[in-house]
Amino acid sequence: MVMRLKSVVAAFAFCVAASNGYAADPIKIGVDGPFTGGSSSMGVSMRDGVRLAAAEINKAGGVLGRPIVLIERDDEAKNERGVQIAQELINKEKVVAIVGYINTGVALASQRFFQEAKIPVFNNVATGSIITKQFSDQPDNYVFRNAAADRIQAPMIVDEAVTKRGFKKVAILADSTNYGQLGREDLEKALAAVGVKPVAVEKFNIKDVDMTAQLLKAKQAGAEAVLTYGIGPELAQIANGMAKLGWKVPLIGSWTLSMANYIDNAGANGEGARMPQTFIQVPNTAKRKAFIDAYLKEFKPKNDRIDSPVSAAQGYDSIYLLAAAITQAGTTDGPKVRAALENLNTKVEGVVMVYNKPFTHSDHEAVSPNVPVIGEVKGGRVVYAYDSDKEGGGQLRIKQASRD
Amino acid sequence: MSILLQLIYSGIALGMIYAVIAFGYQLTFATSGTLNFGQGDALMLGALMGLTLVTLGVNYWLMIPLVCVFGMLQGAFVERIGVRPAIKIKSEFGWIMSTIALGIIFKNVAENVWGRDDLRFPSPLPEAPLNVFGANVLPMELLVVCGALAMMLAVEFFNRKTILGKAVVATANDRDAAALMGINTGLVITFSYALSSLTAAFAGVLIAPLTLTGATMGAVLGLKAFAVAIIGGLSSGLGIVVGGVILGIAETTTGFYLSTGYKDVPGLVLLLIVLSLKPAGLFGKTAIKKV
Amino acid sequence: MKNTKLLVSTIALLALALFPVLSGNSYYIHLVETIMIYAILLFGLDIVVGYTGQVSLGHAGLFGVGAYTAGVLFMQLSAPFYVSVPLAILLTAGFGAILALPALRVSGPYLAMVTLAFGTIVQILINEMAFLTNGPMGIKITKPVFAGHELSENGYFWLVAMLLVLSLVVVHRVLKSHLGRAFEALRDSPIASDCMGVSVYRYKVYAFVISAGFAGLAGCLYSYSEQYISPNTYNIELTILFLLAIIMGGRKTRTGAIIGSTIIVMLPKLLDDISMFRLVATALAVVVIGGAIFALMRKNEPLKVIIPVAATVLLAVFSYWIDALTDWRLTIFGLMILLVVYYLQDGVVGFLRKFIMQGRVRTVTVDTEKNAEIAGGAILDVREHGAETILSFRNVVMQFSGLKALNNVNLSVRRGTIHGLIGPNGSGKSTMMNVLTGIYAPTSGEIEYRGEPIAGRTSSAIALLGIARTFQNVQLFGEMTVLENVLVGLHHTFKSNFADVGLMTSRYKREERAARERAFSMLRFVGLDEAAGDEARNLPYGKQRLLEIARALALDPQVLLLDEPAAGLTAPDIAELVAIIRKVRDHGITVVLIEHHMDVVMSVCDTVSVLDFGQKIAEGKPSDVQADEKVIEAYLGGVAA
Repeated sequence: MVMRLKSVVAAFAFCVAASNGYAADPIKIGVDGPFTGGSSSMGVSMRDGVRLAAAEINKAGGVLGRPIVLIERDDEAKNERGVQIAQELINKEKVVAIVGYINTGVALASQRFFQEAKIPVFNNVATGSIITKQFSDQPDNYVFRNAAADRIQAPMIVDEAVTKRGFKKVAILADSTNYGQLGREDLEKALAAVGVKPVAVEKFNIKDVDMTAQLLKAKQAGAEAVLTYGIGPELAQIANGMAKLGWKVPLIGSWTLSMANYIDNAGANGEGARMPQTFIQVPNTAKRKAFIDAYLKEFKPKNDRIDSPVSAAQGYDSIYLLAAAITQAGTTDGPKVRAALENLNTKVEGVVMVYNKPFTHSDHEAVSPNVPVIGEVKGGRVVYAYDSDKEGGGQLRIKQASRD
Repeated sequence: MSILLQLIYSGIALGMIYAVIAFGYQLTFATSGTLNFGQGDALMLGALMGLTLVTLGVNYWLMIPLVCVFGMLQGAFVERIGVRPAIKIKSEFGWIMSTIALGIIFKNVAENVWGRDDLRFPSPLPEAPLNVFGANVLPMELLVVCGALAMMLAVEFFNRKTILGKAVVATANDRDAAALMGINTGLVITFSYALSSLTAAFAGVLIAPLTLTGATMGAVLGLKAFAVAIIGGLSSGLGIVVGGVILGIAETTTGFYLSTGYKDVPGLVLLLIVLSLKPAGLFGKTAIKKV
Repeated sequence: MKNTKLLVSTIALLALALFPVLSGNSYYIHLVETIMIYAILLFGLDIVVGYTGQVSLGHAGLFGVGAYTAGVLFMQLSAPFYVSVPLAILLTAGFGAILALPALRVSGPYLAMVTLAFGTIVQILINEMAFLTNGPMGIKITKPVFAGHELSENGYFWLVAMLLVLSLVVVHRVLKSHLGRAFEALRDSPIASDCMGVSVYRYKVYAFVISAGFAGLAGCLYSYSEQYISPNTYNIELTILFLLAIIMGGRKTRTGAIIGSTIIVMLPKLLDDISMFRLVATALAVVVIGGAIFALMRKNEPLKVIIPVAATVLLAVFSYWIDALTDWRLTIFGLMILLVVYYLQDGVVGFLRKFIMQGRVRTVTVDTEKNAEIAGGAILDVREHGAETILSFRNVVMQFSGLKALNNVNLSVRRGTIHGLIGPNGSGKSTMMNVLTGIYAPTSGEIEYRGEPIAGRTSSAIALLGIARTFQNVQLFGEMTVLENVLVGLHHTFKSNFADVGLMTSRYKREERAARERAFSMLRFVGLDEAAGDEARNLPYGKQRLLEIARALALDPQVLLLDEPAAGLTAPDIAELVAIIRKVRDHGITVVLIEHHMDVVMSVCDTVSVLDFGQKIAEGKPSDVQADEKVIEAYLGGVAA
């Protein structure tokens, strides 16, 4: 019995030792997102976009001659999971950078560990405005982003609802997470800027199914449109709830109205919803066509529709930006990569836009207000809402300096 | 006023679902003194099974008996694996932990088979609401109420009129005496679990079109149904219908007038209060323990 | 044995203290820190689950209360660490009391559901009361600051380690004290416990509140350790993990709690790494197959061996088949629970103990030589010379639905006598005893003890007034030793409370020593002193009955009720019993004796009352009653000669 135990232990130890021999020293990049749960369509799409980019780069020889290795972790959209993953990636896996974060709350809870460790964080989907400003009081900020922040989206939503379509009475329905509540604040600020006060402001929880109470209150207040800040499943319940009440007013909200699980679960009730989008799944440039074709071929999503086109595109671009910075810095050392990102010499032609000096020391947002367009849910997919945008779609946009 | 009425209608429909699940608790408790802590997960499996069948093209009404059969098998499985060994070693801790364990296993398997997202269950009835006394009622909600009542009446009829039903009642009253009369009490207990899961699965396909169907739908439902079973008393059928309706309306009104986040609270608080003051429930009879 | 334990503990402590320095990796330090924090909670949970035998599904909620107390105090008031910790403990203990007071009136599945409901409510409240707790957005916390310096990762590790050792000492002391015995007693036999003056309800509440305190401490430490808390964490999955830890590690042992904690923290990490899991699963299957062959050679049942073998082999195969185990995490937990509940009831620690002991019975050594020096006189003489009538029943009716078990019974028992109670089965003798000791409240009528009415009072109150009893079906505290059984009867002699026990004050040490001496001399009184260290359930039947008497006498009663003490005894045992009964009476204690053995009744009783169908049909001296026609017809049989 004891002999048997000893031999098992010996075999075990040998296996562990053998598995540690490797070829060229890989560059470990962490990927953190919700791959399960209500936010998963964003997380999985982002991860797949990231995988596509990493595979392409590795096929072309890697970065600094070294292959990129992705260390993926599912945070389940839970803030505390993000915290635990951050500690694991920094101390155990020793990643040189991290891309990801879909949920604002997870980002806000987890980023500070990377900031402390001086490891660059590349937010490619999370849109909470405060994310890139979380450490603005420190000399060096390690958080970057190539998604459209809520301080850009909220004014766009308000512009669409109030200015373009003339609704003066609007209700806000936001979820109770950091994303929903911070987004709601941005919406209220944007509405105040055009002199409008929402007639109802309602909250709901993740996993809530019955929105009747909130919708009834909005209806009673005389709302002409409902502005949303939430994620797919609950947004679908809002749409379905409206149908059940027989009260169909336009749904205009944040970019998450493009999620596959919103479109599928709302079905016919979800048609016509509008939201800001940095990327619409239309192959109107060579690069976009190549990306879409490669994505569909590799991951084969249902109906040839990317679950969250924005997440996939931004995920893809984030790896290329990071790769460019590491190449420029000549090393994976955190502070040097950060400096390189802030002074990017090469122009990176991405799927979303052309990145020409996207970051400076004080500005870590790659996306400016002129980049996103308004999308609309039509026929079970997201399309351009305005023909002017559709026609200009072939033109990749470049960041215009914002009057921040 | 019409809003209050609306809330009352939704509350009644919700409450009937709780009542049907609570009914299942009663069935097993009466015959074996045990409860299935995974009762909510039995409902969840029924709903998901139903969804798969309906997606494959089976007609909703045809699907119901199929799901009921599935429910029976699942209930028998739980009894065999989880409850019977515990009864044999007379361990209360045993069946509590093992029904909990089976519940989480079922939930996890469901997550892996059907995915973690919540799915939409196509409604067999038109989705346009009906106007009753000035408030909206969905046809599906009416179906829920009728279906729940029909199920409970069917079981009551079964208990009183058929011989197998009488065997169940006999075992419930006095297990040892029933065994002495030649009733296979082991089989009766298995049967009561099968019946209990059947009612849960049935409740699952009733409620699925009204909410989202997913692996997590069972947990809180099971707990609140237990609250109803306690409020109504574990021995009274009428009690759980009344208890269910009270709870359902309490929930929908709290959700509206207070905040939707709090809507689960009244049921749970009611459970705590009833258990402290009258553990036998509002309608139950206090049992005397013999030493 | 004690020295090896001390040595092992010292080495373990040293290893723990050196760990952060040796490891240097904050990820692993954090991991061990989490294990320690969970262990603190599990010490408390073990009291409730392992000792009192209650299933609590609400401890994740209590954990959350502790964590959020610390978090809210930090966020709203910038409270320092040394303020948060005691407040967290007190507040969580308070929540525990609020929950326990109503919840513990019920037991079994009801209690499980109630605690589950509580845990769910706590989670909802934390989530919704965003003005206080920041709701789903969570609270960020920094490491504690002492004298202006924020504690480093290592520093906090050592702080947690110190608190772990402190908790371990306190829990150990509590469980070895009269409180621990009370907890075990109420699990083994709630009825006997109540009748020995240990109120089942009250002690269940104590146990729960103590465990809540530990949960609060753990929660507070957790929030500083994670540096971020959110409502999501304190859910049913966590509470099930805690239960799994206790039952897998082993109930009623501190080591078990630590092992259990290690398992639940390391397991998800293990499951995350699929290649590591495959190795472990294969290794486990190999070990189990080896063990199975070993067991088969020892001629164990093949069926019992097949199931674990099949399970582990299937697990190994399964691990190679799937790509990622994280999705199946909960199934693995569920299977582990099933495995432990049916095959490993004593957990890992229990399994190891059996393995090492190889079937030897575990004996608690009692120093018989030292105790032999203790003088006799364990039984207190009843010195009161009060009224003649010590017990009186007036028009007592006890009705159960349609059945009148006691139908207008009038009875008086004179002080200092041995009063027999006889009658056919079902005549109401045991019912009378149960009514007298508070197990039932009579439907109507009065019962007086020393002139005071006691009808309807609780069993433990009546016991403490001076009425002790034995039971028709022996109700010993089976898993406790013979000496410990008597010590439970002596519970009323302890004035020490939780603080005394925790701090091991001289008052407590005195009381414990005195109780042990008295208990031992009581055992000597009934002739069981040699068996003091045996487990009660291992005693032969006759000796078990004697033990019950010794335990009852420990209450220092003025009345001793014996419910068919001679049932199932052989002739020599009966003679011993009769001698003891006489000795008890000689100390001034009134004895009420229910018996069917006529020779015992006739030889020892001063007065005999006869019951039939719930009514008294005769009373008087034994010889008179024996000749009474009604009695002969109803009970003794035959026609009067």
